[in-house]
Amino acid sequence: MTSLGSLAPAFKNAYLNGSGPELAAVLTPIAPSEDPGRLRSFYNFSTAEYLSKDLSYGLFHGKSLKLPKAEQAAWVDIFAAYWEAIGEILRCEDRIPGASVIAVFNAWKKVANALIRGYSGPAGIPAWTLPCLYTVGKYMRTFAINADLEAASQGSAGFGFQDDIAADVEKNANLEEAARVINRMFTLCLSDRAPLEESRKWGIYNMTNLLFKTYFKINSVGLTKNLLRAISASSADLPPPEVFPKSQIVTFEYYVGVIHFLDENYTEAEEHLTYAWKMCHRDATKNRELILTYLIPCHLVTTHTLPTKELLAPFPRLEKLFRPLSNCIRKGDLVGFDQAMSDGEAEFVKRRIYLPLERGRDIALRNLFRKVFLAGGFDEPKEGQSPVRRTRVHVNEFAAALRVGTSTSGRSRIDIDEVECLLSNLIYKGLMKGYIARDRGIIVLSKGGSAFPGTGV
Amino acid sequence: MSSSVPPWRSTAPAAMSSAFPPAAAPAYTPVQARRSLAHHTKPTNGMVPSQPTQSASPDTEGRARVEFPPPVRSYVQRCFAPENQVASVSIPEMQEKLRHVITEAAQNNKLGLIDWERLPLPQTMVQNERNKILANPSSSNWASSHPASPGDATRKRKSTDGHHSETGSPPWRKANRNRFEDRVTHPTTEKKPRITLDQSSKSKANLEMRRKRFEGVAGGGNSPSSPAGSPMRAADADQGPVVGRCQTLEKNYFRLTSAPNPDSVRPLPVLQKALDLLKRKWKQDGNYGYICDQFKSLRQDLTVQRIRNEFTVVVYEIHARIALEKGDLGEYNQCQTQLRVLYAQQLGGHPTEFKAYRILYFIYTRNWTAMNDALADVTAEDKKDLAVKHALDVRSALALGNYHRFFQLYLDTPNMGAYLMDMFVDRERLSALATMCRAYKPDVNIRFITEELGFESDEQTARFVLDNSSEELLEERNGAVRLLTGKAGSLFDQAKAAAHRVVDIKGQI
Repeated sequence: MTSLGSLAPAFKNAYLNGSGPELAAVLTPIAPSEDPGRLRSFYNFSTAEYLSKDLSYGLFHGKSLKLPKAEQAAWVDIFAAYWEAIGEILRCEDRIPGASVIAVFNAWKKVANALIRGYSGPAGIPAWTLPCLYTVGKYMRTFAINADLEAASQGSAGFGFQDDIAADVEKNANLEEAARVINRMFTLCLSDRAPLEESRKWGIYNMTNLLFKTYFKINSVGLTKNLLRAISASSADLPPPEVFPKSQIVTFEYYVGVIHFLDENYTEAEEHLTYAWKMCHRDATKNRELILTYLIPCHLVTTHTLPTKELLAPFPRLEKLFRPLSNCIRKGDLVGFDQAMSDGEAEFVKRRIYLPLERGRDIALRNLFRKVFLAGGFDEPKEGQSPVRRTRVHVNEFAAALRVGTSTSGRSRIDIDEVECLLSNLIYKGLMKGYIARDRGIIVLSKGGSAFPGTGV
Repeated sequence: MSSSVPPWRSTAPAAMSSAFPPAAAPAYTPVQARRSLAHHTKPTNGMVPSQPTQSASPDTEGRARVEFPPPVRSYVQRCFAPENQVASVSIPEMQEKLRHVITEAAQNNKLGLIDWERLPLPQTMVQNERNKILANPSSSNWASSHPASPGDATRKRKSTDGHHSETGSPPWRKANRNRFEDRVTHPTTEKKPRITLDQSSKSKANLEMRRKRFEGVAGGGNSPSSPAGSPMRAADADQGPVVGRCQTLEKNYFRLTSAPNPDSVRPLPVLQKALDLLKRKWKQDGNYGYICDQFKSLRQDLTVQRIRNEFTVVVYEIHARIALEKGDLGEYNQCQTQLRVLYAQQLGGHPTEFKAYRILYFIYTRNWTAMNDALADVTAEDKKDLAVKHALDVRSALALGNYHRFFQLYLDTPNMGAYLMDMFVDRERLSALATMCRAYKPDVNIRFITEELGFESDEQTARFVLDNSSEELLEERNGAVRLLTGKAGSLFDQAKAAAHRVVDIKGQI
């Protein structure tokens, strides 16, 4: 009767080995491939009535594993909650009427709470078991997302005492709840004052990343700032990032980069994303692709550089996303640029890169005007001197360049004032050096190969 | 407010004026406080039955305006058919039950799913409930309160309980279940159960609480002598939205801290009249403080009754426009957020007009994350709309620093967008001047700036320049005033940076 199946020996072994990952594997809500019936046999071994007795007997009877009483009780609580959750999962699997993912989520949340109590309470579960916390947190997030989907399909409507109709806040009610619990896990890690060797501080980046992921999903990117603030406030007590597993730091830096990116702090964003890009495992193609999705627009804004063919070769999706735009920028093809922007708009907006990419139009414009300058040729060379480019260009010449390609598309005519406006913007942004002499209708460009800084002329 | 008694107040039903002392009638909070006290004092108990009877008919009227499918209508007709009446169930009781059934169905979007032909009539349901109570003697209250027991009434209660056990239970549900209202608004009543709890055993206290909770539904059966009392209690224990009984057109806004009192909530027909009154008053007096307050209470009444239809959209749209006109962006933003949800449900109104405002609003607040969301909301169809196209063009002109285009658009803004653009046009003028001063050398005619930056006159331009820089920058030459761009240095850059500091607006998400 009271046999926990393969679960009890797995727990004991993990504990005796002091292996966090092994222990976390015991708390997984998915049966291991070598023992597909584990969840079911574990669930069937007891009933709600005898659960705690059965568990304490099954886990701690015998001489092999001796734990303090409080810690034993904590694990019994955790596994009792786990047993309930497994029950809900099996009910869903068996499609028993009344079973629901929401119930699974709620049961799993109790596992998380029992675990949090186990760490923070008198039981003082040691820090080497932290992988359990990530595992439980990770699955809680998944269950919450599914529960939200289920709730949405049932179309439940709820109201508070609000003055206005509740907005779409409920869409993510379960995930928001999960975020709150994960946030407690975050605090649990950050605020541990035990000596560093046995501190839960080692779990901080893992928990932060999980929380970042969750906040992004519920569209509350603003909340990530609180985490960053908390981390930087206690940075003195944290081990340096280099000693954490690289994977955790890469993910962390990626998210920090994207958070800056969304705030239009492209310089900081570039710094963090570059770090993530350099540290990222070269086989993690999907992650590298994600980093580049934001790093490429960053580079366009900060250094006006475009991605090379070689860079994008391993990422056909990115090649497709950025290539048309890059070509138009390079050629100074404004009509093509506008077309490429509007073609890619849906995708750009979805990835939140539309606004920075739009700034690429300035670079396209700069390239076009540079061509006008080059086409202007050279002034009459003075005797004995090398020829000098003609640096006084009439506004009409730039206007003509802008009209190329637009005449057929029937767009609104371009008047001289607007051309001047575009020119003055380029000058203001430092993409062009010179000034507009409005009364004479000419642009006086800088001599000595610095009219278009960084482009060789 | 009491100085001019509007005609509708004098026509208020007699029951109302007898229930409330006339002095207390106009304001709502004092009335509410009084009522809560009355809950436990005997003499005022007598007033309770008088209200539901007088309000029952407008109630059903209000409901009837909502579009119900034909099977529901025929179900309602059958309820009122004389041959279906049951002597032991009074009409108000039946109406209350009917309201319950339909509200619940409408809330859960089950209007189309329920088999109305076969659903028992409300009078039958009430009878069944009573029989169940009779079958279970009072000593076995335990059994009857178990959600497992079948029957329509208990099934309904069960669904509430079931919801409650889940974490996402909305506050009003919790409130009703725990008799939150009793505890919050009548502090005196809290003591009584506490004392009994101390004296008696815990299980007995539980039984007592269960019985109290049950009174809401079963009360009608237990005390047939006061049949009209049951709707009153039922409304408290109700699981659905409130259905208002208030006939007053005007109402001051108070933030809700407990479950709304149906007596101070206006049903839809009254709200519609109230809106007409407000529109008239806005035109006549233009008193924004008053109008805003009234609109807030109007919105609150709509929300607590969960009215979401074209009327709701109209209310929010009008309030949003008035707030825009008065530059009350906090209030405007609240309306805009709600409108976005309402438009998503295809309830009519003017979605493109407000999508355009939304974009302009985010330009003003410089909220790029929200702007990205707003852009994601714009469909290809929307882009054909003049206002949406205008707003998108404004956004793109600003993003590229194309002040020339921006000010052309500014002078030709559809709808009420100009109110929003006025909020950031000076900011953009400073940006443009900073750019121009860097690019144009050595000076430009002020006439040019007037035209480029949408000023009304050269005088206005000169004033603006002087306000934001120093007078050395202007020089009169050959009968024209010129801006000495070469000498401006970083003056306009500083002014621009100051103007672009983060905009903070109350009520912003």
